[in-house]
Parts: sequence; C-alpha cells; structure tokens
Amino acid sequence: MSFDLNRRQLMISAATAAGALALGPARDAFGQARVQITEGNVAPLPIAIPNFVAGTPSDNEVGAGVSQVITNNLKRSGLFAPIDQAAYLEKITNIDVPPQFKSWASINAQALVTGRMTRQGDGRLKAEFRLWDVATGQQLAGQQYFTSPEYWRRIAHIISDQIYERLTGEKGYFDSRVVFIDESGPAERRVKRLALMDQDGANVRYLTRGSDLVLTPRFSPSTQEITYMEFGQGEPRVYLFNVETGQREIVGNFPGMSFAPRFSPDGQKIIMSLQQGGNSNLFVMDLRSKATTRLTDTPAIDTSPSYAPDGSRICFESDRGGKPQIYIMPAGGGQAQRISFGDGSYSTPVWSPRGDYIAFTKQGGGQFAIGIMKPDGSGERILTSGFHNEGPTFAPNGRVLMFFRDPGGNAGPSLFTVDVSGRNELRVPTPGYASDPAWSPLLS
Amino acid sequence: MKIDKTWAASVALHVLVLGWAMLSFSSKAFELEPQDSVAVDTISEDQLAKVMAGMRTGKKENPKPLVEKVAEAKPVDDTVGKISEKAPVVTDTSPPPQPKPKPEEKPVEKKPDPPKPVVKEEPKKEEPKKVEKKPEPSKEPAKEAEKKPEPKVDPIAEALKKEEKKKPPPKPTETAAKPPAPTKPKAERVFDQSKIAALLDKRDPTRNAVAGDVLNSNAALGLSKGKSADNSATWGAMFQSQVERCWKKPYGGIEAQRAEASFVIRLKRDGTLETMPQPDGHPSTPYLRVYQESALRAIIECQPYNLPAQFFDEWKFFAPVFTDRRP
Repeated sequence: MSFDLNRRQLMISAATAAGALALGPARDAFGQARVQITEGNVAPLPIAIPNFVAGTPSDNEVGAGVSQVITNNLKRSGLFAPIDQAAYLEKITNIDVPPQFKSWASINAQALVTGRMTRQGDGRLKAEFRLWDVATGQQLAGQQYFTSPEYWRRIAHIISDQIYERLTGEKGYFDSRVVFIDESGPAERRVKRLALMDQDGANVRYLTRGSDLVLTPRFSPSTQEITYMEFGQGEPRVYLFNVETGQREIVGNFPGMSFAPRFSPDGQKIIMSLQQGGNSNLFVMDLRSKATTRLTDTPAIDTSPSYAPDGSRICFESDRGGKPQIYIMPAGGGQAQRISFGDGSYSTPVWSPRGDYIAFTKQGGGQFAIGIMKPDGSGERILTSGFHNEGPTFAPNGRVLMFFRDPGGNAGPSLFTVDVSGRNELRVPTPGYASDPAWSPLLS
Repeated sequence: MKIDKTWAASVALHVLVLGWAMLSFSSKAFELEPQDSVAVDTISEDQLAKVMAGMRTGKKENPKPLVEKVAEAKPVDDTVGKISEKAPVVTDTSPPPQPKPKPEEKPVEKKPDPPKPVVKEEPKKEEPKKVEKKPEPSKEPAKEAEKKPEPKVDPIAEALKKEEKKKPPPKPTETAAKPPAPTKPKAERVFDQSKIAALLDKRDPTRNAVAGDVLNSNAALGLSKGKSADNSATWGAMFQSQVERCWKKPYGGIEAQRAEASFVIRLKRDGTLETMPQPDGHPSTPYLRVYQESALRAIIECQPYNLPAQFFDEWKFFAPVFTDRRP
C-alpha cells in the first residue's frame, strides 16, 4: 500500500513537474506574432505652423510674425520640415476647437501648431498655442504666456522650444542669445565690438564702442553675465560684464596678462590663464570672495580651461607634451590626463552642457577643423574642416555647435552652426563680419 | 525499500528526460524573422485586364506593333511580297481596319465607266494604270481619273493626316509610280482570300507576343520554390516594408539610443486598423515617448496595409515592434 502510494505520488509529482516545465515555452508559442520594424528613416518631421490667430484686429501682424519666427527656428534646427503655408487647406480661425485633422493629414503634416495673440486691456500681449499630433488627433502641448508686446519674438522662441522639446524629447535652445565679436572696417584697421544677439541673428546689440580690442567673450552658464578679455591701456585684462545692467568690472588684479576666462557652471567662479614669464598657468577666482587659487604649475602654456557641467573636472589646452593637446584634470587641480592623441594640435576645448562631449579646434595639414570627442578621448569626430574654423561653443542643449569661419583673403569671418552629428551646417546672419561666438544658457 | 529506491530513481530519470524533451522540443516563441521581400506593384484585376487587352489608341513608343499602321508597310511586303507587291494591296490592307471602305465603294461605282469592272482589287489596279497611262484612256477619263483619285486619295490622305484635296493629285502619281511595274503583271492574279488570311495571320501573332511579354514580366516575380505556402512568413516582411515608409524616426543624436516601442494592433480584412494601436508599456523618458509616438504615427498613417488575404487569420492581430536594439 505504502509502495503504491509512493509510486502514485511520485508519478503525480513527476507529471506536474513536467507540465510546469512545458508551460513556460508553450505560452509564448500561442502569443501574437511579433514583427520587427527597424528601418525607419530619420527624416525632418513635417509640421504645419499657420499664422497665429489675431485676438484683436491689430494683432494680425504679430500673429504672422510669431508663426514666422517659429517656422524659421524649427527649420534651422534641421529636425523639422515646416510646410509652406500656401499648401494649407484649412484656415485656422479659432484655436479652441480641434482642427480638421484630415485636411492636415492630406498635406502630410504630422504635427500642427495653432495659436492666438491677443492684446490685453492692460497693454500686455497674451500668447496661446496648441501643438497637435495630426495622426492621432491628440493635443501634445498647450500653453499661454503674457508679455509686453515688444518681447513677442522671445515668446516665439519659447514656444519653439516647447514644440522642439515635445517632438524630439530633447531640451530646446531657441530662447537663448549669442555674444560675439562684431568686426567692421578694413582688414588692417578692424574695429572689434562686443555684440549680443538672439540665437537666430535678430536683435543685435553692441555692448562696447570698439575703441579697445575685445576677445573671447564667454557667457555665464547660469547668469546674464559675460566675461571677456580686453586690451586696454596696459596688459590685456579679463573683464566681467552684466548684460542686464551694463556694469563692467575687471576680474582680479594680477601682475601679468590674464586671458581665456570662462565661468564655472554655477557662475560664481571664473577660471582663466595668468601669464608668468614665458609660461601661463590656470587659476580660478571666486567672484564673491575674490580668492584666487592656482590649479596648474608647469613650465608650459596651459590655457583655454572649461568646466564639466557638473563642475567636477576641467578640460584645458596645454603644450606640456610638445604640441598643444587637450588634458583633463579635477576641478581643484591635480593629476592631468591627456585625452587627445590624433595628428595635429588641439585647442579651445569646451565641455558640452550635456557633459557627453568636448568640442575643440584641431589644426593640422594646413586646415582648421571643428570636432568633438568624448571626455575620455574616444569617439573623435570632425564636424567641419577648412582654411580657418575656430572657437566652438555649444547650444544650451548640447545638440548644436556654433563657431566662426574665416575664408581667408580680404573677406572676414562669419558665424556658422552645425549639428553635433556634423549635419545641417548653416550660416548665422550677422550685420557684419563676426567671430568668437559664445552661446548663452536658456533665458527662461 | 530497495524497490522504492529504484522506482524513485527511474521516476526521477523519467522526469528529467521528459522535462528536457519538453523544453527542447517545444516550439519557440512565434517571432517572425525579418525576411527580404520583393517590392511588387500590386495590380487590380481591372488593371491586369487593361494591360492584357490590345490598345486601340496605339502607342507609338511601343516597339512592338500593337497598331495596324506599323504592320501595313513592311510586314505585308515581307510575307505577301512575292505574291502581291501591288500597291493596291497595300492600300487594301490599311482600309479594312480603318473606316475607309466607303471611299473605296465610290471609286468602284465610278469604275464601271472604264472597261474593267471586276473585283474590288481590280479597280484599284486600274487606278494606278490611269495615273500612268493618262494618254491611253481619253483625256476625259483622265480628268475623271483625277477626280476619282480624290476620293481614293482620301484614305491615303487620312493616313497622312488630312491633306487638302488639291495637293493629293500629285501624290497619287508619285505613290503610284513605284507600284505600277509590279501591278501590271500581277494584276491578273486574284489572291483576295489568301491575302486577307495572310494579314489576319500576321496580326494575331504580334498581339499575342506583346501580351505574352507582359505576362512573363509579372510571372517572373514569383519565388523559385514556387509554393504559395512559403509566403506565409513574408506577410510580416510586407507589413514591415509598408510601415517603414511612413516611419519618421525621431532624431536620437549621434549615440544610438536603444529605444524600442511595441504595440498590439488589430487589422480589418481591408488592411485598415480596427482599433487604435495599443502601445505596450509606458515610456520612461521623453525620448522614448517621442519614439513611441513616431511609431504610432507611422502605423496610423500607413494604413490600409496591403497584406495577403489568405493569411488574414495571422495578421488580423499581431504585435509590431519598432526597435533600434540591434543584435
């Protein structure tokens, strides 16, 4: 009896065990077929941006202007293909009712932006917009803003950022400014002025009068301040300039030349090179306490320092190995590690706000190239190359680089943007020749 | 106890062996391997019928003679040449397809005036004669002949695209100038039926040949294995290639982001979506959300899907997976 029982129990347990073993795979066998789709094309997204509806008859102009600025921003990013307004089948007259998605789908729009500009009783301007997914009919984003009427371009940039962010999954960069050196006059007597403009080239403002030579302006990553080098009466000095107030001050009081300044990520410190005899070393100065700390002490030229976005490390250029190369070291000083090993010399390293890349100017073979590499020195890629390209600066989202290009001869330099992938190289409109661009952080 | 041990051992072994067999022999997950699919333009029955049918509005571009005009001059000369190189025969061949019989009849009516009113062909033989031998018949018939050619000229003129009646008279003389020599000797022989037969023979094969070529070009797209059942795995590839055309991937930067978005979709028999695609899982990052939305957009935008109807049971409910995770 006990034997029988044992046997039966064993058999039962064996059967259940076997059944359990079989169940797992069998479940998969009866699931739905899975079809893998791998080959989409990375193509600009077709987007329709009809003129914003005018809340009052006098808002027609600003409505069209906002839509135009957004269109231009998205088009220049290279990730969107705005559809010509002439192709639109539906005229948006009320943004509070859903649009006729079929009419937008029929012109192949995948996204649709509708908006309205209304002058308020108190003189302010109300801007509303909605971003629609044409295929599903879903509203992807919607916002309203109030501003004073002269800042309508800024509103357009902010809306552009919202659209960019929602449709690419990346932070935007349109609501930002660029400080650069405006150059005018003949080649032998160039007048160089510090100038500020929106990232799309609009609203150019001159910050200096051009009596003194200014170089290497840099935006604070967190405040509306600029640091730059100016040749005054004596030695070149590093200056601090507040864009909002127009106040200007010399950074520190050093015996020799100070140059190549750049802000720390929190905007509270400035790192720069100080000349000492034939050498230059890196120093950092706290803007509040004015305390200065030496970071390097080598018989070489160490310059062009740039902080990592987390402030933990810096990258800089040094010729301690013979030719200028890029090195990385802890932000507080210490052991430096060389990361650039290609042919030629590397200079003007700048760390991306995303932290994933370091952009540089590479000189070799009679060419100046703009490139990027990872902070460990791997993945070097050249984005553009030519007679003279220099001074890369990252957009706030780390997706786009701006630099200046000098074609040589009598012509002067001008500004260009290029995607970090090396695509979509575009000239940035400036009133005259321009060099040494530096991108601001997002304004909002 | 001993018995128990052996039993236990054998049962344990059985369990192991059976379990292993069930694991290793069980069918694997039903995952469609990506397959190469041949891009084929699908044609409806109507379109196929049109392709197969002869074209009345002849294509001049088509090298193969679908139209009678090409067939007139050369082919007729080749085959029937020995028998009847007569110009009249040539003109005969052209009229039947075209609505020229009426002008011919008129000359026939007028031909009784001249001495030889016989078969239709003979009157035509006479025409050239008249042109040549204007002296032989009286001047009046010559004038008549001039008038007669006018109606006869019409068919030629039509062929040459409507020339004025005054112009044709010189042309008939020119055209007639070549044929006349052969016409005289062979005028006596009557080959009506044989000529018609020859003409009919010619036209049919040319048409068949053209149709055959068209058919072959379609037939060449089949698989060499030749089993329609083999296509069962390729509806997935067909869906893939169709939906990929609409899929505009978001730009993920230069670093390949390992994004993946899967859906469950239900299709109707006509290839349109029965319901909105159900995304599988909630995206954890903005980029993944954008990635999933781009895939959803593609699925919706690319419908209706053209998939083989006989496998409807397989593709009415399945799971497309949009992925950048390459093995």
